[in-house]
Amino acid sequence: MTTATLSRWDRFRESFLWYSFKRDKVAIASFVVLVLMVLAAIFAPLLAPTNPYDLAQINIMNSELPPVGMQGADPAFPLGTDAQGRDMLSTILYGTRVSLLIGFGAVVLQAALGILFGLLAGYLGGRVDSILMRIADVQLSFSTLMVAIIVGAVFKASFGNLMFGEIAIYMLIFIIGVAEWPQIARTVRASVLAEKKKEYVDAAKVMGFRTNRIMFRHILPNTLSPIFVIATVQIANAIISEAALSFLGLGMPETQPSLGSLIKSGFDYIQSGSWWITLIPGLVLVVLVLVINLLGDWLRDVMNPRLYKG
Amino acid sequence: MKNDTPLLEVKNLDVRFAVRGGDLTALRGISFSLDKGERLGLVGESGAGKSVAAFSILNLIARPGYIAGGQILFEGRDLAAMGERELRRIRGNRIAMIFQDPMMTLNPVLSIGTQMVEALKAHRRISTKAAREIALSKLRKVQIPSPEKRLDQYPHELSGGMRQRVIIAIALLLDPEIIVADEPTTALDVTIQAEIMALLLDLCEQEHVALMLITHDLGVVSQVTQRMLVMYSGRIIEQGPTREIINDAQHPYTQGLINALPQMGEPGARLFQIPGSMPSLKNVPTGCPFHPRCKFATDQCRQTMPEYVRSGNVDVACYEVSNLIEQEKRMQEAGS
Amino acid sequence: MLAFLVQRISQAALVMFVISVIAFAIQDGLGDPLQEMVGMSVSQEEREALREELGLNDPMVVQYLRFAGKAIQGDLGKSYFYGKPTLTVIAEHLPATLELVIGASLIIMFLSVPIGVYAAIRPQEWLAKFFMGVSTVGISIPVFLTAIVLIQIYSIGVTVEWFPEDTGWGQWLNGALSTEGGMPSYGRGEDLTYLFGTWNSGFFTERGLMHLVLPCISLASIMLPLFIRLIRAEMMEVLQSDYIRYARAKGLSAARINFLHALKNTMLPVITVGGVQIGIMVAYTILTETVFQWPGVGLMFLEAITRSDIPLIVAYLMVVGLIFVVTNTLVDLIYGLVNPTVKLTGKKA
Repeated sequence: MTTATLSRWDRFRESFLWYSFKRDKVAIASFVVLVLMVLAAIFAPLLAPTNPYDLAQINIMNSELPPVGMQGADPAFPLGTDAQGRDMLSTILYGTRVSLLIGFGAVVLQAALGILFGLLAGYLGGRVDSILMRIADVQLSFSTLMVAIIVGAVFKASFGNLMFGEIAIYMLIFIIGVAEWPQIARTVRASVLAEKKKEYVDAAKVMGFRTNRIMFRHILPNTLSPIFVIATVQIANAIISEAALSFLGLGMPETQPSLGSLIKSGFDYIQSGSWWITLIPGLVLVVLVLVINLLGDWLRDVMNPRLYKG
Repeated sequence: MKNDTPLLEVKNLDVRFAVRGGDLTALRGISFSLDKGERLGLVGESGAGKSVAAFSILNLIARPGYIAGGQILFEGRDLAAMGERELRRIRGNRIAMIFQDPMMTLNPVLSIGTQMVEALKAHRRISTKAAREIALSKLRKVQIPSPEKRLDQYPHELSGGMRQRVIIAIALLLDPEIIVADEPTTALDVTIQAEIMALLLDLCEQEHVALMLITHDLGVVSQVTQRMLVMYSGRIIEQGPTREIINDAQHPYTQGLINALPQMGEPGARLFQIPGSMPSLKNVPTGCPFHPRCKFATDQCRQTMPEYVRSGNVDVACYEVSNLIEQEKRMQEAGS
Repeated sequence: MLAFLVQRISQAALVMFVISVIAFAIQDGLGDPLQEMVGMSVSQEEREALREELGLNDPMVVQYLRFAGKAIQGDLGKSYFYGKPTLTVIAEHLPATLELVIGASLIIMFLSVPIGVYAAIRPQEWLAKFFMGVSTVGISIPVFLTAIVLIQIYSIGVTVEWFPEDTGWGQWLNGALSTEGGMPSYGRGEDLTYLFGTWNSGFFTERGLMHLVLPCISLASIMLPLFIRLIRAEMMEVLQSDYIRYARAKGLSAARINFLHALKNTMLPVITVGGVQIGIMVAYTILTETVFQWPGVGLMFLEAITRSDIPLIVAYLMVVGLIFVVTNTLVDLIYGLVNPTVKLTGKKA
């Protein structure tokens, strides 16, 4: 499968994808910003001036210092400090790391579930299809955010605050991954139905290949580009969902903050004038989500030429 | 040849498509004319530019296509240079069009009656009631069973053949001078193709409407049209009276097309095939676009596009033909 | 029509059944009714007797049936915190949420259709590109952040002088957009009009409307860009279809083609998506209400989670589930009525 994927990827690169990427300034800028943010998140422990998880490095005397450029700022804390005296730059770097980790993790999980269920539904059809798609319908009509909030609430109630805090990253990946699988499953199912009609599938059947071999080795590689487009947008959605859950207190604890929980912890202080605790992580979150969305839009336009043909 | 000006005269029409990395030429130097009540056939393989030619007559080419040059003279007025408002008065009213696929042509969410009445109201000051009467009379003309019922039905409630009848009725609504029919039966069941075609021809004759019939079916063209155009890769390569071309095609491509007809071969024998396939718009060869598939191709064919020469009443763009004519002339001179 | 109706309603009933099973499972797994009813002092034997009496030792199916039977009669238990029947608590909070959703839906409807259609008809114009750019940024801003920023702007204090001061409406708009006496950002205010039942409305007084503005804008902010993009994409696809080209070939006016032929076909899928989006909006009210301290069911639900008020959580799930199911079913029915290609008669075309 790797070789099939790779050669397909290469073909894209050589022909249209790379060509239109080079010509699209927005796509290039988004890509550069995204890569910088991902790198900053990966190397956060090296880049951050302090370690926000290390209580010994925090001095409560430094709390609520404004960013550099405002009165009362301390040059040691370029983006100011939060209510506990943590350096905002460091917490944002670590927070981006957590947000990205959950975003990618949740999309990997939902892609795995979505591809599996989508393939099964599309290829096997019949009862399997109608049951899976009914579940997907119900879940979608209930809205993925609602499902995530409910699952989060139930988990939190059953694990208790402390325990939930410790395993929050895995919980959030699980919650968002499970809540969002129908999106990808539907896309996969639709492309499988389209692919199934094509002759190479008949050929594979006639040659006596087994069902799962046909599904994974023959059909799946041909449904990759829509999955790829959806998955990109889903990373942005997962990051927003995580932020929303954290903002509601159903996500990352303040001791191990994501961008969402940073915004939440700052929200309590916004009325006292310490806007930076909320708005700087908020801005980082928006930029992160925006560049992913822009890349997703660009990918959709490039990989789905139907929108452009006259 | 008549001397008065024809109803429709297309002169040197160029149509291009603006795409990434430059323009593609879809039609190159198209010239032809259509007289009142005449039946003209336009044949060619798919991709030859037949549909583009059909739509360009109504100046209805979808973006990114555009008319890059030439004239489309309808009663002496140039449609290619006309504003949208004036064009609207001609579209549907003086020149009507029948599309290829009746399943896609009618708006799925509007009733047949609405779609007929609106066409009348767009061109005439007329009450809805009167418009429905006219619509009904045209539906009767196309021999639709229980026409009264059809007005309130939606397209999906009709079969493909019935829909195409409705579309023919819509084409006739405003008693146009010209009907442009773009492969009107291709999308239909084989069993009713002949029926619909016969209906269309009958009605055009009855109402004295000129018909421009676009098709890839040489058989139909040979049976029903008076004159025909043969298109290849965006060019007209041969045009003239249908009977003359069918009986004695000049261009090697037209000859190939005719030889490929099943009725030309012996029963049980393999059908003739023109080797190769038509080039896509992206890489049209230099010179005569047909040269890679032509057994008579010379260096001249590969380098420059042949001009039209007249052989009998037929105009042909082919060096081989013009050389033959030259030769003949020389032999006649030598003989006399 | 009848067959279609029966089919949709039985589907809805099935979904409600699944939701009730989930709600029951949550109640059963998390709630311990004895804990709430009796103190620590009660002996083990007395507890056992009480369990027996309450039927907590019955088989699951029996317990579920009892739960479902009560639920159908409108009994979803008592809230631990409020000490009142949960449905009464929800009924008291629901109007606030519904007004928020209605207000946001109005904003979305009146802005998304014209903007989406305009952007589809004139995709090359700078204003269309501007709208699309703003939409892309819009979907990237989480709804709670929009809400916070709106509050922040109005807490710093702004004086707006965009509109002419010498006209009545200009003065009013300037005053309303400025912070002094401007836009309230917490709660629903006092000026509510009693309508019926538990419904006190903010729609009929100036102060009540002012309280609605910021929460509605922030709730609409997440859906509006989605709808604009959806309408534009659908419309652009429709505009390329054969029947639109045919309508042009018939010589119809651009207005008739765009606003009848194209728009009707565009809005059909949008209706379906719109129904789903209403459900999603209910989820987003939880976020909006938290930021604005809006006394609706969203805030109530979140408080119930922090208070571990299990009966209220379960009741909320059931009610919200019912709202989703009813709106989706209604949307399907409306879609079937508007779209002639859906065979409501069940008769073969």
